[in-house]
This record gives sequence, C-alpha cells and structure tokens, in this order.
Amino acid sequence: MKVAVLSESPADEAAIRILVDGILGRPTQSADMPPIRTRGVSGVFTILPTVLKHLHYRTDADALVVVVDSDRTPVHKPEHEQEGGADERCRLCKIRQTVDSTLDQLPVQGRPRIKIAVGIAVPAVEAWYQCGRDPHVTEAAWIAGLSSGRFPYTTSRLKEDVYGTSRPSLELETRCATEEARRLVQDLPLLEQCFPTGFGALAREVRNW
Amino acid sequence: MLDAITFQNFKVLRKATLPLSPFTLIVGPNGSGKSTALQALLAIKERALQEREGKQTSPTNFERFVTAGLEVTDPPEVEIRLQWSELSAWSELLAGVTTVAPWPRYGFSTLQHYQHFQQELSKEISRSAAGDTLNLVLSRIRVYSLDASTIIQSAKLEPDVELSPTGRNLVGFMDSLRDKEPERFEALNKELGRWLPEFDHILFETPETGRRAFLLRTRKGHHKIPARDLSQGTVLALAILTLAYLPDPPPLIGIEEPERGVHPRLLRNIQTALYRLSYPEQFGEERQPVQVIATTHSPYFLDLYKDHPEEIVIAQKTSDGAAFQRLSDQPHIMEVLDDAPLGEVWYSGILGGVPAEQ
Repeated sequence: MKVAVLSESPADEAAIRILVDGILGRPTQSADMPPIRTRGVSGVFTILPTVLKHLHYRTDADALVVVVDSDRTPVHKPEHEQEGGADERCRLCKIRQTVDSTLDQLPVQGRPRIKIAVGIAVPAVEAWYQCGRDPHVTEAAWIAGLSSGRFPYTTSRLKEDVYGTSRPSLELETRCATEEARRLVQDLPLLEQCFPTGFGALAREVRNW
Repeated sequence: MLDAITFQNFKVLRKATLPLSPFTLIVGPNGSGKSTALQALLAIKERALQEREGKQTSPTNFERFVTAGLEVTDPPEVEIRLQWSELSAWSELLAGVTTVAPWPRYGFSTLQHYQHFQQELSKEISRSAAGDTLNLVLSRIRVYSLDASTIIQSAKLEPDVELSPTGRNLVGFMDSLRDKEPERFEALNKELGRWLPEFDHILFETPETGRRAFLLRTRKGHHKIPARDLSQGTVLALAILTLAYLPDPPPLIGIEEPERGVHPRLLRNIQTALYRLSYPEQFGEERQPVQVIATTHSPYFLDLYKDHPEEIVIAQKTSDGAAFQRLSDQPHIMEVLDDAPLGEVWYSGILGGVPAEQ
C-alpha cells in the first residue's frame, strides 16, 4: 500500500509512518513523490488541496495521512461528528472539510478515491511521544487545562522532555521521534486510550482503509 | 555575553539600543542598521586589538563613523556602549560591566570599561585584569559576510589559519582541522553527508607548492568535485557548517545572511549549526558558548524561530535613523502570531521591519 504523509515536520512524518504501519500491522510504501514539506500548521492547510490533487492526478498513492498539532485550538469532540456539528475552530474538522471539498471536485473515473486518515496531536505530537513515560500527559489533562485556563504543561516543556532541549536539531528530533514511535507501536491501545480523540480518530480511519 | 549594544551617532544608528541573546537574528529593511551594528563591533575590535598590541592609539576616524548628514555645529560624540552580563564563563567576572567606545571629533581615545557597584557608583577597570580580559574578548570578535567565489580559491598553507570575513582560507582551516582535530573533522564530514547526501567527504589537493584547494567527494562513484565546480549554495553551506565545528571559536560571531544561496529546505540545518555555536552543551560540545548575531531577509529562515521570539530583533528605519526592538517585547506577540508562519507575518508588515512605501 502506498501512503503519503503530510505533517508539520520531517521528523513527525517519519514517526507517523511508523505508527500507521503499526496500526495496519504491515509496512506501507512511500507514495512515489518527493517528501512534502510545509511551513508549519498553516502551511498544511494551504498546501493540502494541492497535495490531494497531486496524489490523485500524478501518483498511484492509495492513501494520505494528515497529522497536525492542536496547539491551543479546541479539541475535536464526538458531537463534531454529527450532521452539521463540525467546528471551524477544530483543526480535525477543518482538515476533513478541506479534504472532502477537494476530493469531491476530482473525477471519480480512472482512479480509486484516495483513502484519508486524519489525526490531531493534542496539544503537540511530543505529547504522544510521552505516552507511557509521563502519565500526566494525556488528552484529558489538556482538555481540562483548556477549559480552566490552567494548562498542565506547555509545548516547549513537552519538547524539552522528549528531546532534552528546546532547540533540537532535525537529526535529534527525527531520532527521538522514530525511537518513541517504535516504542509506542508495542502498545497502541495505551496511546489510543490516552489520546482517544486525536490519535484514536487516526487509528480508526487507518483501520477502515 | 553582551546583553545590549547602545549606539550614538554611529552611522545610521543615531540613538539606538540593540538587545542581544546568546543567539540573535536581526531582520529589517535595507539601511535599517543591521550591518551597521556588526560594523560597530568590528570598529571596537580594531581598537581593542590596537590596545592589546600596545600600539600608539590612532586618531579616532570620527568622519568614518559619524551619522551621515549630521550637522556638526557643536561636535557630537560618536559612541558605542557594550553592556556585559555574566551568562558565560569568559565573562563571569564582568557582570554589570559597561564598555564605552567613544569617537571624539578631535584627538585620541581609548576603550573604557566600567564596573558598576551601586546604581550611581562605577569604577573604571580599563587597566585591570578584567579590562585586559575584555580587550582580549573584543579583539577576537569575528564578522562574516561569506562569499562563495572567495571561499573556493586555493589558499597558502600557514600554521595558524584564520577564516577571513569573506571565507577566504576555509580550505586552510579545514586542512588544519583534519591534521589537528581528526575526530572533529570526521564529525564535520558526517554532518556534511546529512546536509548534502550526494557528498561524503572533504578532500584536499595541492594545486601548486605551498597551496591547498578542497574538493568534495561524491557518495556515489567517489568522484572528486573541485571547489570551483561546486554550486555556490553548496560552498556557502559548507562554510557555515565548518564555522560550527571550529575547535576554539571566537566569543562573538556576527554573520550576514547565513541563509544566502542555501535551499529553503536546508535552512533548518543552518539554524542548527548556529545553535551549535551558541548552545554547545546541547550538542555535547565542551567549550565556551559563542554569542551569535545574524542578519536575514529570508521569511523562510525567520519561520524557524517562532518558538523563540526573544531571539528575534526587528530593525526599523525611523525619522531619526534606525531603531531595534526585540520581537518578544511586542505586546501579545504569541497571540498575534497564533499559527501563522512567522516569516509570512513579518513580510506582511504587522511586526514592522519592512521597507517604507511611497
């Protein structure tokens, strides 16, 4: 299966591919294209329609995985899934809307529709990497912080905990991210339990491919 | 470490203070004082060198530095003040010290260092051990504006090689690194392979007796590519990378547009190389940190510093010259930036530091 990954950094993409392979239980291949790079989360939203068109018209990719950080935006809720319940401030809803409206414009003949899986790392992908290491780092803890205004941790602190510095080199970031991803695939139910919305959504969509 | 530099009538910097961090990136329009700030460091270095070598102090070259167009009816003084802090070992004893570099219109002047004891009370320490240390630190400042056409030239073999401001002697420096610090040279080669995977090693040749030139070996086929046949971006990236592997780097480095000529996707590597200088302990290096002051016009490079607004300084032209402001001092900066790329926001003009329009 050929899968493209779109995220905020090459390090995240390497780790996400390991997680996707773990969810599927078999290795995926990279889509036949150069790695996609964006300028942060807003770049993901800007480039996403073009990436979908590129994959559709120019590649034989089967699927696209999109993962972004939630930062301090509202976290996806089950009610967003209901008819007319999508929240424009929720990044997961926003990505799905962009994906749906783009794919709906593309011709259905000659090529199967690209499968999609979207994940939101709450508040940042480094929180996933802390799963099993720090029991206080969970989606529930962050959501409680969002509603009270007293955040249990910052994204900078998560970075320092994972990389040992707030100024990691790309090499260090990739090494740590992939090491953590390899550890996490050994216990994906725990990751899904600690991050039911952001990682859970990704896992469910990948399993449905 | 330098906490801040205050300028008075120094070229376009009539009255301005440049706040500094261990790493500082200055952005702003052409003519807003970015390069002038680095030139000021060189002017002070020149004077510190003279004083260390015990040379007769030369006239102050007032006309060379005075603000252009300033009416000199009552001769103003050109002056630069350096504010030191104790954030690194080499300046541990120098916390609260101010260095004053005056350029009076007539006569001679020397660097003066003052140690502050209380709010108002200060004592000149210019001729003390601390003053000597400061002059040593100042005399080792380096400012680079790297030029690929200079870097690729062969260089004469000399015992104590220094990288010139434009990068001349890069080959001599790398050759010396290979001989004196082979482990460090190998680490440099390894990092080169990560930056530019098509190459795996720096090699040397002797084009004529007593001279050295460098080549890069391709990973595939081990072809030797002479420096003159490398792309400008490759040469400039190699020079920045090499700077990060200096075994005994200067305490303060100024660098003009370190991203120049380098592909936007390699800019993260450039950032890491500069951080390696400023935060050596985070890279397993056992040496003193280098304070780095860089300038840029690249929104892509700026994007990389969004998590550290305290490292960004916006240079702005004003009716009275130019001014500097630390990005983190702008009100509600993180809320304003939100999830937009920092470079994009800077380009829009919201943060200042863009050219005026008629």
